[in-house]
Amino acid sequence: MKKIAFITLSLLLAVSFWNCEKDDICVDGTPVTPRLIIEFYDAANPTVLKNVTNLRVEELNTDNGVVFNEDIDETLPARYLSNGNKIAIPLKTFSETSAFEFIFNYGDAAANTDVITFNYTKDNVYISRACGYKTIFNLIDITPTPFPVSGYWIQDIDIIQSNIETENEVHVKIYF
Amino acid sequence: MLKFIFSLSLVCVSLLGNAQTKDTAKVLYPERYGLRLGVDLHKIARAFYEKDYRGLEVVGDYRLTKKFYIAGEIGNEDKTIDDDRLNFTTKGTYFKVGFDYNSFENWLDMENMIYVGMRYGVSSFSHTLNTYKIYDPTNYYGETIITSGEQYNNLNASWVELIGGIKAELFNNLYLGFSVRLNYLVSNKKPADFDNLFIPGYNRTYDGKFGAGFNYTLSYFIPIYKKKKEIEPIKK
Repeated sequence: MKKIAFITLSLLLAVSFWNCEKDDICVDGTPVTPRLIIEFYDAANPTVLKNVTNLRVEELNTDNGVVFNEDIDETLPARYLSNGNKIAIPLKTFSETSAFEFIFNYGDAAANTDVITFNYTKDNVYISRACGYKTIFNLIDITPTPFPVSGYWIQDIDIIQSNIETENEVHVKIYF
Repeated sequence: MLKFIFSLSLVCVSLLGNAQTKDTAKVLYPERYGLRLGVDLHKIARAFYEKDYRGLEVVGDYRLTKKFYIAGEIGNEDKTIDDDRLNFTTKGTYFKVGFDYNSFENWLDMENMIYVGMRYGVSSFSHTLNTYKIYDPTNYYGETIITSGEQYNNLNASWVELIGGIKAELFNNLYLGFSVRLNYLVSNKKPADFDNLFIPGYNRTYDGKFGAGFNYTLSYFIPIYKKKKEIEPIKK
């Protein structure tokens, strides 16, 4: 019986160390607050993806560019420019409206700025002790509407998936 | 805290070593049976040095046979946990019942214990979520901290504890005890949109079902009746 007592005590001791494992780091890959995923299409041929040229997206009336190239140094403007056909932009988790300036041909004389406003409802969802909460969104509408609007380089916008819960799907399509 | 558990476990183990080298001479002494009641000193002390904590645990055991004791704890905790991303307050009451088995062969009229035991614990509690942060990896707008105040009531959990501990008589029926506990969650009623990160009586929860705890008790033994030790033939 003493052996049993000894084994139990040793076991308790071992487990007290084993329980030290960290669960207070939010692991990469945990689904957290999703960004809005936008894909760009050719307005003349709406099924064909089209690359933008030096697109910079800023929160309205700020000079704060959304990062598109994490790898490029913070001092370089290219960090904030997209030349692809898919971008991800963050929505405000403390407001039900986020407005952005979409600047086409940024840094060029032919630069064209379109202001787009996203209206949505939001919901805070518990993740874990380490990550806290995330916000998921439900897109209501996008203004200006309807398109086309004169002076805009964007021809049309479609909401494809109004429930913004993951970054694995495209939420909005922009035609230009 | 873990260092504390570690050093005291070492004490347990070394005492155990002592137990094995005891003389085998049998002397007749009456064995006392009765009820032992006490409190967890650690919970009381914590209320002083840790702000945002209040807790009380009353412990008791009743000696059934030479080696078996029915044992239990009843307690109440009120703890505010300030984690990196969450701040919440948990309040609740718990009750544990089970047995202790004394594996210590006492010499003369000593009544010390080195024991193993088991408990089944139930806890009823509520959380108040004070503040939380939204995890947005882009950090484009800065961090959003939300003051919630949301209440999560009528929660409960139950678990099994495996215990190892010691109790030593200081003087005149007054005992000082220490135990370490390995907890295994059996049931856990979680709130929607939050989690039971702390369960009164069980302590902090982890990803799995295991948890750990300890107590440091001071208790008083109330003798009820006496029995003579059984006479064993003396080996020569």
